[in-house]
Amino acid sequence: MRRLITVTGLLLSGAALASDGHGLVIKTPPVGSVSRTDGLQAWEKIHAVVSHPRCVNCHTDEQNLPMWSGPEYADVRPHGMNIHAGESRIGAETLTCQTCHVTSTRPNTVPRAAPHTGMEWRLAPAEFLWFGVDGRTICEQIRDPERNGGRDGAGLVEHITHDAEKKGFITWGFDPGAGREPAPGGMQAHLDDMIVWVAAEMPCPE
Amino acid sequence: MKITVNGEMHDVAVAPDMPLLWVLRDELKLTGTKYGCGIAQCGACTVHIDGVAVRSCQMPVGDLEGEVTTIEGLGQPQVLHAVQAAWVEHQVAQCGYCQSGQIMAAASFLDTNPDPTDADIDRVMSANLCRCGTYPRIREAVKTAAASLRGA
Ligand code: FES
Ligand code: FES
Repeated sequence: MRRLITVTGLLLSGAALASDGHGLVIKTPPVGSVSRTDGLQAWEKIHAVVSHPRCVNCHTDEQNLPMWSGPEYADVRPHGMNIHAGESRIGAETLTCQTCHVTSTRPNTVPRAAPHTGMEWRLAPAEFLWFGVDGRTICEQIRDPERNGGRDGAGLVEHITHDAEKKGFITWGFDPGAGREPAPGGMQAHLDDMIVWVAAEMPCPE
Repeated sequence: MKITVNGEMHDVAVAPDMPLLWVLRDELKLTGTKYGCGIAQCGACTVHIDGVAVRSCQMPVGDLEGEVTTIEGLGQPQVLHAVQAAWVEHQVAQCGYCQSGQIMAAASFLDTNPDPTDADIDRVMSANLCRCGTYPRIREAVKTAAASLRGA
């Protein structure tokens, strides 16, 4: 079966590997087969994901406030209940995020409840700022190891597969459960786009 | 499944996705922990898991790791927890419905932050609602409890 997948993958787009644990297929395009235009197209789809409220609401600046924005809210405002994630970005200074957002891989089934994932709830590091930021700036941040958690291209791809294994925040963004609009696409499409963007040497819009 | 509550181990036969709050109230008959909303909006169901405040309505019992403390296990009538003693001193409770959640939230917070500012107190306690509006007394009682914990 593995051989069949690999052969088919080679015919279509290079090597394809179904990996254990995360349930996603890693389709590596042949070296040199991805143009800058392909890469920019892939980036546009990545941008549609990372600029979605499911993602940006917790990618906020050093004021350490999670945000409530998106079609579920009448207006854009900081998280209710006077929530402040602190410099720890996990709320350790006052009220931990996990007081309400528990850690569980079970589906989110209750409308308006505090969502949960298989990872401990937190804000992304402040340098991963996406809230209220234009696409080009986000693009430049994501490809900069100084501001993306030290990740190279392979690290960015691995970030997605690791999240799939843990049922973490990216996985949740595409499947947020009752009453919340998901980010566009899905984990496999997001992984495919990331691989193409990386293979094109991570081009950003001018 | 086995869970430890207030130092006692219990074997409960429930679905793993049952919220801990249901287990506490309906299975173990520990009704000091209250149900307000079931969606992490009110704080009435706050308990401790390994000392940290958690909304028990949000915690599927099958995902529980650690020991649970409820209001029944925080202190005893003869040996009140400092937060409970401060609550009595300031006569915080009105109807009382929200108060076990308020006390559990305050106790967990003071454990990690023994010298809070007013802003810290407001940040941590704002997620616990009180229909009776006892907020000013809550804030004063938290300060009293903090002082007594620091002195202890
Ligand atoms: S009942 Fe759990 S927060 Fe309201
Ligand atoms: S004392 Fe009545 S709800 Fe708080």
